[in-house]
Amino acid sequence: MRKFMINVNGKSYEVEVEEIREGTTVKPAAAPASPAAPKAEAPAQAAPKAEEPKAKPIAAPAGATTVSAPMPGTILDVKVKEGDEVKKGDVLIILEAMKMENEIMAPQDGKVVSVAVSKGASVNSNDPMIVLQ
Amino acid sequence: MSNEDKLQELESAKLKLKDGGGQARIDKQHSSGKLTARERIDLLLDQGSFIEIDAFVQHRSVEFGMDKTEAPADGVVTGYGTVDGRPIYVFAQDFTVVGGSLGEMHAMKIAKVLDMAMKNGVPVIGINDSGGARIQEGVDALKGYGDIFFRNTMASGVIPQIAVIMGPCAGGAVYSPALMDFVFMVDKTSQMFITGPQVVQAVTGEAVTAEQLGGAMTHNSTSGVAHFMYSDEKSCIEGIRKLLSFLPSNNLEDVPWQECDDDLNRLAPDLNYIVPDNPNKPYDVKDIITAVIDNGDFFEVQPYYAQNVVVGFARMNGKTVGIVANQPKVMAGSLDINASDKAARFVRFCDAFNIPLITFTDVPGYLPGVGQEHGGVIRHGAKLLYAYSEATVPKINVILRKAYGGAYIAMSSRHLGADMVFAWPTAEIAVMGPDGAANIIFRKDIEASDNPMETREQKIEEYRSQFANPYRAAARGYVDDIIVPEETRPRLVAALEMLAGKREERPAKKHGNFPV
Repeated sequence: MRKFMINVNGKSYEVEVEEIREGTTVKPAAAPASPAAPKAEAPAQAAPKAEEPKAKPIAAPAGATTVSAPMPGTILDVKVKEGDEVKKGDVLIILEAMKMENEIMAPQDGKVVSVAVSKGASVNSNDPMIVLQ
Repeated sequence: MSNEDKLQELESAKLKLKDGGGQARIDKQHSSGKLTARERIDLLLDQGSFIEIDAFVQHRSVEFGMDKTEAPADGVVTGYGTVDGRPIYVFAQDFTVVGGSLGEMHAMKIAKVLDMAMKNGVPVIGINDSGGARIQEGVDALKGYGDIFFRNTMASGVIPQIAVIMGPCAGGAVYSPALMDFVFMVDKTSQMFITGPQVVQAVTGEAVTAEQLGGAMTHNSTSGVAHFMYSDEKSCIEGIRKLLSFLPSNNLEDVPWQECDDDLNRLAPDLNYIVPDNPNKPYDVKDIITAVIDNGDFFEVQPYYAQNVVVGFARMNGKTVGIVANQPKVMAGSLDINASDKAARFVRFCDAFNIPLITFTDVPGYLPGVGQEHGGVIRHGAKLLYAYSEATVPKINVILRKAYGGAYIAMSSRHLGADMVFAWPTAEIAVMGPDGAANIIFRKDIEASDNPMETREQKIEEYRSQFANPYRAAARGYVDDIIVPEETRPRLVAALEMLAGKREERPAKKHGNFPV
């Protein structure tokens, strides 16, 4: 098991990476890798996101853009899925907050690398929601 | 020496000064996508209008080999000219001359231009492209910065001051632009920071590029230090000229006037249906702004920063107005720390320079959250209240939809001295949203009910129909009139005309304690 610090858009994640050799079984990681920043109370939805880079630690960083929640709220709808091509300005997520169905739009053209939230989830300010590349 | 020789001598001296740091350095400047100080001034000012002053100034430093260093014009070109026929003072640092570094005499030249601009009530434009303080001149260089900061502060609110960053601007140098009214930056070729990437890395261990740390996009979208960003120097200079067209030359002058060929009584029927029936649906407030103003020509300030509030200049009946509008499309149009800062600063600029304010309100409230509270949203939010209360220019408010709670008060309400408050029939002016209000007011009814959910829904609807409308506020006279949205332009034009002679005094004081 090796530990890496991965920097995604100024946010650092501590990620544990284990090489899978033939004949060995994969044990689920004892504890989900958590962001290095002291954000212990990140909502449950953040956990799969943090594990995501584990599978493809190189896929996310270089040139990737993380779309984060601009304010606390509830995910009303996720309009894209992993692998989708999106254009700048396309609606990615509807975030209900301040009694408004806020359209969260793609800041640039790209491909959806990962989706960290699902319908009904609640998010906090700056929680990563979607990674684009 | 005959007169002929003396004329020859003058001519060759002037030619030499025009060359700045020499052809090799000029070529280098060009190859990095930058123009020279003199080329920038020529582009900015009306053709042939530039008059240079202090070209013969020389530094008087002898330390560290400076006695042998020649610095034509001491690395900064200063003078005056015109933009669209109106006088302008300008200084432009010359990166080809000792890296545009700021020494005692360099600073003296800038200070002189600021003094003259202030004395004569003429805007000043400072083009920054400098490696920073001229270290060899030691404390004299620091004195130079101090002299500039003092004059920037004295000139604040007297003449418009515009800073243009077209290269590095680091260390103490950043505070002159920060004290000025507007900061223009050019993408990829301009940076501002207090300490550069190397120092940041050494002190905190954070690896960051100069562009990430203090590039144009960083300051336009993240820090809010800059107000405008352009992809190249030419378009940047066009932007500066456009901004100047909206501004009076000083605080005693009325706003500039242009012939208006847009019908003053033009109706905009689309506005009747622009606010969605469902109050939870967003729309773009810029569509409303452009439908109302002269020829849809909106010059937005800080378009990339705190986009939940939109500010900028426009014309109504040919005269400049300042627009402040909540943007429901971004963060529900709520007010947060950054939006309050952005709007308050803009309101104060307009007030200082006699620019009437038109506010378009659709605000659900101040943004809740630990981050906001700990970041001081109370202190920052207070700025907006202060700025609107303090402003004595004509203040007109159009309430489009939501106007709730403290944010309703903050957005140019009657209670902060708005001269005219209009509301569209879609307005909801109340102490809080129907959901929250019903929960509190009808708590007992809801608890006692056999079917609390249904009772709650009923009570929300009851509250909505009774209170979430403009009629309650109009009944008290807090709203002067409820208008058909398509008539917004003619109503605003008439109101501005009615308010043109507005006189309002504030108690004499040294200055207020603005909540910074």
